[in-house]
Amino acid sequence: MVGAEGGTLARPADAAGPVRGGTGLASLAVDAALAFEPATVLKDLRATRRRRRIADFDPFEALYRAYLTGITLSIGVLLLSGATGDTKVTGADLAAIKADGGAWVGLAIALAFAIGLRSGGRGGPLVVEAADVRHVLLAPVDRSVALRGPAIRQLRFLLLAGATTGGIAGLLALRRLPGPPAGWVASGAAAALLAVAGGFGLALIMSGRRLGRWVGGALAILVLAWSGADVAGHRVTSPATLLGRLALWPLSVHPVDLVAAGAALAALVGGLLLVGGTSLEASERRAGLVGQIRFAATLQDLRTVIVLRRQLAQELPRQQPWLRLPRAIPKSWLIASGRTHGHAVPATASPRGRLHTRHLPVWRRGWHGILRWPALRLGRVAVLGAVAGLCLVGVWNGTTPLIVVAGLALYLAALDATEPVAQEVDHPDRAASYDTPAGELHLRQLGPPAALMVLVGVVGVVAAAAVTGGSATTWQLGAIVVLPAAMCALGAGAMSVIKGPPPALSSQAVIIPEAAGARAVGRLLWPPIMSVLGVIPVVAARNAAQHGQPIVTAAASVDQLVAVVALFGVAWVRYQEDAHRWWDSQVAEAKNTSGRSRPPVSRAK
Amino acid sequence: MPDPTEPIAVLSATGLSKSYGDLVALEPLDLTVPEGQRLVLVGHNGSGKTTLLRIAAGLLEPSDGEVSIIGSPAGSLEARAAVSYLPDNPVLYDDLSVLEHIEYVCRLHEADDWQTRAVGLLDALSLTDRADDLPSRFSRGLRQKTAILLGLIRPFSLLLIDEPFVGLDPPGRAALIELLDDAGDSGATVVVATHQMDFVSRAERCVALRDGAVIFDGPPGQVDVTTLAG
Repeated sequence: MVGAEGGTLARPADAAGPVRGGTGLASLAVDAALAFEPATVLKDLRATRRRRRIADFDPFEALYRAYLTGITLSIGVLLLSGATGDTKVTGADLAAIKADGGAWVGLAIALAFAIGLRSGGRGGPLVVEAADVRHVLLAPVDRSVALRGPAIRQLRFLLLAGATTGGIAGLLALRRLPGPPAGWVASGAAAALLAVAGGFGLALIMSGRRLGRWVGGALAILVLAWSGADVAGHRVTSPATLLGRLALWPLSVHPVDLVAAGAALAALVGGLLLVGGTSLEASERRAGLVGQIRFAATLQDLRTVIVLRRQLAQELPRQQPWLRLPRAIPKSWLIASGRTHGHAVPATASPRGRLHTRHLPVWRRGWHGILRWPALRLGRVAVLGAVAGLCLVGVWNGTTPLIVVAGLALYLAALDATEPVAQEVDHPDRAASYDTPAGELHLRQLGPPAALMVLVGVVGVVAAAAVTGGSATTWQLGAIVVLPAAMCALGAGAMSVIKGPPPALSSQAVIIPEAAGARAVGRLLWPPIMSVLGVIPVVAARNAAQHGQPIVTAAASVDQLVAVVALFGVAWVRYQEDAHRWWDSQVAEAKNTSGRSRPPVSRAK
Repeated sequence: MPDPTEPIAVLSATGLSKSYGDLVALEPLDLTVPEGQRLVLVGHNGSGKTTLLRIAAGLLEPSDGEVSIIGSPAGSLEARAAVSYLPDNPVLYDDLSVLEHIEYVCRLHEADDWQTRAVGLLDALSLTDRADDLPSRFSRGLRQKTAILLGLIRPFSLLLIDEPFVGLDPPGRAALIELLDDAGDSGATVVVATHQMDFVSRAERCVALRDGAVIFDGPPGQVDVTTLAG
């Protein structure tokens, strides 16, 4: 072995590798007796890097960030708290929560487990630095030792986030449910901690054993189905449901729930023991992609985040579409002309045929893209529609904050649905080569996504009907809400995609720099707000029903306002580029005018 | 029973293939590289050179077949101790200086007497004055030199290098060629994937790949490699 003694192909030390005469490098004064123990080396490596980071640490910047996070969290909690209300739940409702609340919370915990299983099937959840993959994981050290440290650091952050979320959920619950405040916060935090621990542990087991994406996906569906069956059957059988019941201990204590807590901790311990088996190929892929996702997120580049996340989930377009649409250019033409690419329309083609094949190319292109979606994305969009529908049932039953979840679910579905527009935005050079204005092209590209979003809305109505027993009110309200809600969400999605990341402050910007932060927040938040506005008619209908007024009239009247918002979105898509161009020309003209009218500055002193 | 007079196969691939869904990156191939051989891999972009090297380094898992390094499966603890892999893009820690990189890489690989060799390699690659700097502030060429240094300073029996000349200036290229010759002279097996034709003639064996399949395997002088390398 070159450069070392011993080993299968050992060479004498004097014949070792590319050794050169030294130049007496003074700074190379590292103790030659440093330990080779991998754990010690890794510990030293981390310590050196930490020292370097601490040296670059700016305490004021950190304090400012902590201050911003604290303020945002406090405002969020206050808003949620206000929306939750403080009327205590009593009687039959309280009994129903005691009986079925655990199963519903368990469904949310099952979702955490499912996410973990899916992530583990794809080599997650660990995110190791690319340099660690190259230098540490390719070194002859035990990978369990090398990966356990990063795993524990990642787990620590997730546990903190989970405990905070669970504690806040407990705080909100105690406003409406009886029980000691400390008990609600503690049980909420404990259930969330165990959910995170279990999900993370399952993910590590999946990736450590390299069980693969199909097994991960199947187990995720199984876990969700088990908890779903508990909800539907009013039973407590799955570990997730037991953990969910743990969150409700201030209402009633069930010691058997601790069995699930033990199982979650066992999964975590098992995962940490098996972490060394994680695939290096997956680790390297994730290292690169997660780094890019973080960078894109700091730039608020939502589209890039979506594209990279799809790559991370290995969510690639299908080679063969689910349904093949008729070809725009008949195959016989290609064969006859001997060309398989470029402008293959032969001069001999009949005018009728040419006209026929160029019919609705943008519409066809949009559907082609959608028909190549993998099953996973189709399923996700359908699930998001169902989630929106179920949340609106919750809104109808009095839990108003769920309207935000419903709006966000539709917004996320719209971000997927607007893929045809996004593809065009991703390739601005191509769009610039068309003789059609970009706004008109984008508007035409919204055709297939609009049809898809209506379908997503229909899925939501069907899901709502399923849990309400198919009541006439559900169908009536669904028929009124589905179109404006779908259009608002679509407009919101299209806005997010077309806007792209916020530009850097330009010298031509009229807005004052101090207002740039607020502008950036508005730019980021407006699309989801617009999507939430689309489902507001449900609240109007509920209020009308509470006052004995006809729900259809109430919802329809609010629908008109929602339609205006949706039309605003459409108009923005069509004319925003023209408006920006006009505005820029006006600013440039104003600058030129002021430059000409300004008296020349004398440099003579 | 293996013949003791035969050279030990440092790298041995049997029925090795790699595909990503419908895309075949590497057709099933058999390849044996004996101890001390200098082999150059040539081929067009996308021909499978990098895939082959990454599988041998243990970074990629083959779809089918086996790869062994001195009798141990690629990626195993023993194989990792024997293989030094230099990828085409240098990956370094942003917050460690060149010297700190050297120290930790050598300690992770249990390298003896690495301080002396570090001085020599820093000098050969003209990095002596930058040894205390962070590579994150380096140019592409300097980062490449740092990665080369890290690949060569640790003990190895098999050196796998992917496009090592990219980004290097002429003196850097000359220094690298000399270092690779030194490594070969010391008994290491060297496998280099490159488009650099003047390096091909220095190798003892040339393997050309096209669309994931071996289309030539023999001494570089037997064929016009420029037509193979693309």
